[in-house]
Amino acid sequence: MLEHECAIALSPQAVDLGLQAGMRRNSMSALAPGVLMLERQPLRETDTRDGAALALLQYTPELAHADEDSLLLSVAASLRLFGGPRALCRRIRMTVAALGLNASLGMAPTATGAWLMARRGRRVMRMAPLVRHLTNMPCTWLPAARPHRDWFDGLGCRTLGAIRALPRAGLQRRCGKPLIKALDAAHGDVPELFEWIVAPASFSRRVELIARIDHAEAALFVARHLVEQLCGWLVAQQRAVSQITLVLEHERGRHAIPPTLVDIALAEPAWQPEHLVRLLRERLSRLELGAPIIQIGLDAPDSVAFAPPSDSLFPEPGGTPADRRRLVELLTARLGSDQVLQVAPRADWRPEVANHWAPIGDRPPSLPEAPIADRPFWLLDIPIALVVRDNRPLYRTPLRKVTGPERIETGWWDGRAVRDYFVYEDEHATRYWLYQDRHPGADIKWFLHGIFG
Amino acid sequence: MDTGHPALSAELPGGGWPQGSLTELLAAGPGAGELRLLQAALAKLPAQQPIVLLQPPHTPHIAAWRAWQPAPERLLWLRPTQANDALWAADQVLRSGCCAALLFWARSIRPESLRRLHVAAQGSDTLFFMVRPLSAASQSSPAPLRLTLKSAVGGVEVGIAKRRGPARDQPLHIALGISALPPLYPDVSDAPMDLRTPVAAEPRRAAHVLAH
Repeated sequence: MLEHECAIALSPQAVDLGLQAGMRRNSMSALAPGVLMLERQPLRETDTRDGAALALLQYTPELAHADEDSLLLSVAASLRLFGGPRALCRRIRMTVAALGLNASLGMAPTATGAWLMARRGRRVMRMAPLVRHLTNMPCTWLPAARPHRDWFDGLGCRTLGAIRALPRAGLQRRCGKPLIKALDAAHGDVPELFEWIVAPASFSRRVELIARIDHAEAALFVARHLVEQLCGWLVAQQRAVSQITLVLEHERGRHAIPPTLVDIALAEPAWQPEHLVRLLRERLSRLELGAPIIQIGLDAPDSVAFAPPSDSLFPEPGGTPADRRRLVELLTARLGSDQVLQVAPRADWRPEVANHWAPIGDRPPSLPEAPIADRPFWLLDIPIALVVRDNRPLYRTPLRKVTGPERIETGWWDGRAVRDYFVYEDEHATRYWLYQDRHPGADIKWFLHGIFG
Repeated sequence: MDTGHPALSAELPGGGWPQGSLTELLAAGPGAGELRLLQAALAKLPAQQPIVLLQPPHTPHIAAWRAWQPAPERLLWLRPTQANDALWAADQVLRSGCCAALLFWARSIRPESLRRLHVAAQGSDTLFFMVRPLSAASQSSPAPLRLTLKSAVGGVEVGIAKRRGPARDQPLHIALGISALPPLYPDVSDAPMDLRTPVAAEPRRAAHVLAH
């Protein structure tokens, strides 16, 4: 990573090749010709930081930017909700990892203390151990102490504890107020004030890709970052989303290509990242890209106020209605809405018309009144014409009549049916539902229309 | 889960259909009586939870379910176009654990897929039946319970191909009520229809009476 033609960050492999921070571009390419050098992009860094802040808003509304690419979270009120400091740290770490970032986490009773503890990557819950840690910490870790590093070195003060032991009045005269303030804040002697981040009123974010993406499934990796941010925003706003749109911007060739939109409508508003990512994965796996993607965006045009969870004492066995709806959504996302069906019977005497199945919708199905009769379990989509031998219909084996006839004569308005239905049984005792087509003026024909399960 | 057929329940380990496990029904074809056999158990499942029919061989007939206890509103018919999608759907339904029963008609399925489904079934209380052709009886399967079904007069002949416990060679005859309902129309015998209609007596005397 370069800034002003100087290396500022190196990968371990680059260090193995003998490169060091502060080297110039020319000397590095002389040492290691194949090394990949990237220019630092402050805008993208800010964007990434904002994204991380948005995603972490799901854990606390009190979140502030701090020095050196760090975020301060005031989690005192969230500890119980997320099951204690350890569980909360684990979740935060997972969220940050889902964004594709690395973070070092520290936790302490004071904000400046926590900021310093993050360098150690340790958690302390009480004041006394924090003070012990602070006493041993190198004084250069505190930004306010860095300008006076040489002077402290001369005094033999290496740790924060040693600085704190110096006379206060002299220290303030020499180093100014900020150092004293930072030290006191870390020890909890003065209150700390922060400007908390306020979530924007609407969610719409874009991520420009480093490389072109040719496969829709690869876009999921970036989409997942966006979904994490969306979920942080939703929780901060106490809203749930009922529709999201993934915008895949294409590379501009000779002609501009309109962006591909992946719309996901949810039957029930959701705010859980796992569910949204699962839906996106199913949709993206079926998507064919016309052109490579260079930018991915996520919009949440439609959000509703978050419904409080059910407060029933016992969890419902077999999942809540919400779980059921989520399952149906997931199935619909992959199989297509025409393949997930529920009953939608019609009031008609013709079995093939009455037996109507419709894509599952929001409404529970309603059943028109109909007489209850002995009907076969399976209905053949296309009735099979049967051969007649010795005045008996034949289907694999000769059939024997069980009950019937039952006449159905209706549908003069569209496709008239004049049929006599019978239940027949074959030699293996399998029962069939047969009908005789009795259109006037035509020969009587036998058809197989149903099978008793 | 009680099967509703005492003779069958007595033969099954645990005294009924196993929940959270893969049960294979090897049927001789659609119409072997597999659904009438399961009907009693399906009727006892908790209401509200859907019953999923995955890849059935023909269109399920709503009118048949009206007469039965599990109301047709609870049915969810999935008809995936590809075999992979069907397996995926079965896996999702089992993992979600919010469906009362899953009936999966599979024509051909690989043993490793069966094993995966069996593992998925163990994580939930879903009643899971796979209906496979009778020819699959010779193949090995991880299912702890496999039954063969053949339709028989007045019911269904159930053979136990595999179960936990001693083997049983004799098939079991389970009587199934073919039609518990009264017929929609009283069963009219054909015979009276074929009889010649009696000729009405001619009113010969009427003319005389009128003449007077």
